[in-house]
Amino acid sequence: MAQLPTMWRTIMLVLVVEDDAVLADGLSRVLGSHGMTVDVVGNGAQADQLLQRSGAAEVVVLDIGLPGMDGFEVVRRLRARGNAVPVLLLTARDAVEDRVRGLEQGADDYLVKPFATAELVARVKALARRHTAPQAALALGRLSLDLAARRARVGERGIELSVREWAVLEFLLQHPARVVSKQQIIDAILPWGDDLTLNAVEVYISRLRLKIADAGVSIRTIRGFGYMLEPDA
Amino acid sequence: MSSIRLRLLKWVIPPVLLVNLGAGALAYTLASPHLREAVLRTLVLVEIVIALACVGLIWFSVSNGLRPLNRLRSELNAREGDDLAPLAADDVPYELEPLVSSFNGLLAKVGEGAQARQDFLANVAHQLRTPLAGLKTQLEWLGARHAEPETAQSVRLMLSATERMIRQTNQLLALARAEPHHFEKARLEPLALDALVAEAVQLFVDQASAKAIDIGFDLQPATICGDRFLLRDLIDNLIDNAIRYTPPHGAVTVTVRPGLLTVEDNGPGIPPDQREQVFSRYVRLDDKSHGSGLGLAIVRDIAVVHGARLAISDPPGGHGALFTVKFS
Repeated sequence: MAQLPTMWRTIMLVLVVEDDAVLADGLSRVLGSHGMTVDVVGNGAQADQLLQRSGAAEVVVLDIGLPGMDGFEVVRRLRARGNAVPVLLLTARDAVEDRVRGLEQGADDYLVKPFATAELVARVKALARRHTAPQAALALGRLSLDLAARRARVGERGIELSVREWAVLEFLLQHPARVVSKQQIIDAILPWGDDLTLNAVEVYISRLRLKIADAGVSIRTIRGFGYMLEPDA
Repeated sequence: MSSIRLRLLKWVIPPVLLVNLGAGALAYTLASPHLREAVLRTLVLVEIVIALACVGLIWFSVSNGLRPLNRLRSELNAREGDDLAPLAADDVPYELEPLVSSFNGLLAKVGEGAQARQDFLANVAHQLRTPLAGLKTQLEWLGARHAEPETAQSVRLMLSATERMIRQTNQLLALARAEPHHFEKARLEPLALDALVAEAVQLFVDQASAKAIDIGFDLQPATICGDRFLLRDLIDNLIDNAIRYTPPHGAVTVTVRPGLLTVEDNGPGIPPDQREQVFSRYVRLDDKSHGSGLGLAIVRDIAVVHGARLAISDPPGGHGALFTVKFS
């Protein structure tokens, strides 16, 4: 990923608990290339010990099938100590029992192996975002939103956005290269349950397209479903 | 519980005994030659009639006695190859009982063998997932770095081979899961079919974008009773199949209506005489595309265990294929 949104430029500390050396090394490289600092341990007992230190990790990527103490037990102990650090479980089995059990023990999310690294990175970032202060700025391509000053820019040029257009664009920028449904957009921009039709969303999108035409990003229509904001190839 | 032998004896023995005794007694008493001849002639006639009656009786009794055997035979003939349920042991004649029970023993052993094979398959597939995840992660990291064109091309090829291995592995798992004897009724729950499709939209959009295929959705709320994971396999495989066989810049549309899922594409379509065939394992109509030939077999297996009807027809536009899954 050539363009990193500004919000990720702070260093994030990730603990990877995975006994397969090739995968652990790969995870460490991939997360590292997204500007994160990565610690790797190969078994549950070691992870459990490390996680007793406060601030040992901002996000934990945890394999379930570990030798000795398994991932379920690591999460259970972590939550029993009152530690709320977000945990992303990795599992080789897609049995429903595994997923349910993992989430019941207090994990926040899970991924079934093998996964796309883009998916992993997106999930880790989403988990970190939930547990940290709101971002000051969002950016993709030459488009940037300064959330504190509520200023939108394409390169150096400022653009004027209505309140609703701003809300739609902010939501799209929070989910770069992800498909979002029209209903998701409505739910995100109308916290007070105002009435807004799906057609209204289409209107905001077409206005936004005109305003960000030269920003090096485009809003793609997913027919009958929603939209995806992606950097131009 | 009746026995074939007993039934035969009951029907045949009494009349034969009676007639033979009667005839012997008569021949002894009547001494006059004229009378004897007349009596003999009558007796012969009577014997013939009785013999015929006996043959009829025996034929009737034997076929009556063999009826349970015929019933077993037609029951076995009508079975699907993977139906290994034991034969019903009640209502079987006494002589057949040991045979039926041995046969059921054999069916059980074959069933255990099939189960062991599926478990082995699922186990191997699960074991492959972690090394495949390692391989894919390393290659994706490598691919994201700047490299000379030849190296970059080689990495792309390795990634594509890895993706194929991953897909095959997942297909084997899906196949093992969809086996009727692995199917657990307990997992059935009311599900929103439209939400199941929506969950996977990202996956389909990424897949379709790679081939510049226009993928569209028309989802209305629909609740059905089913197994979440199997239905995701069904949806994924149907849409993957459509994207795979639609040429670049084609279109695929997924529609959900109450009790109904359809996937329409404007690809080459499937000739009517080959429509049944595509649901068989390892059948690929087009050898140019990289398919396992398992996708539609998985779709069929999952439709069957859900009691859903699966059909291929011509789309309203006339060009391409329209897959319909109708849930009851």
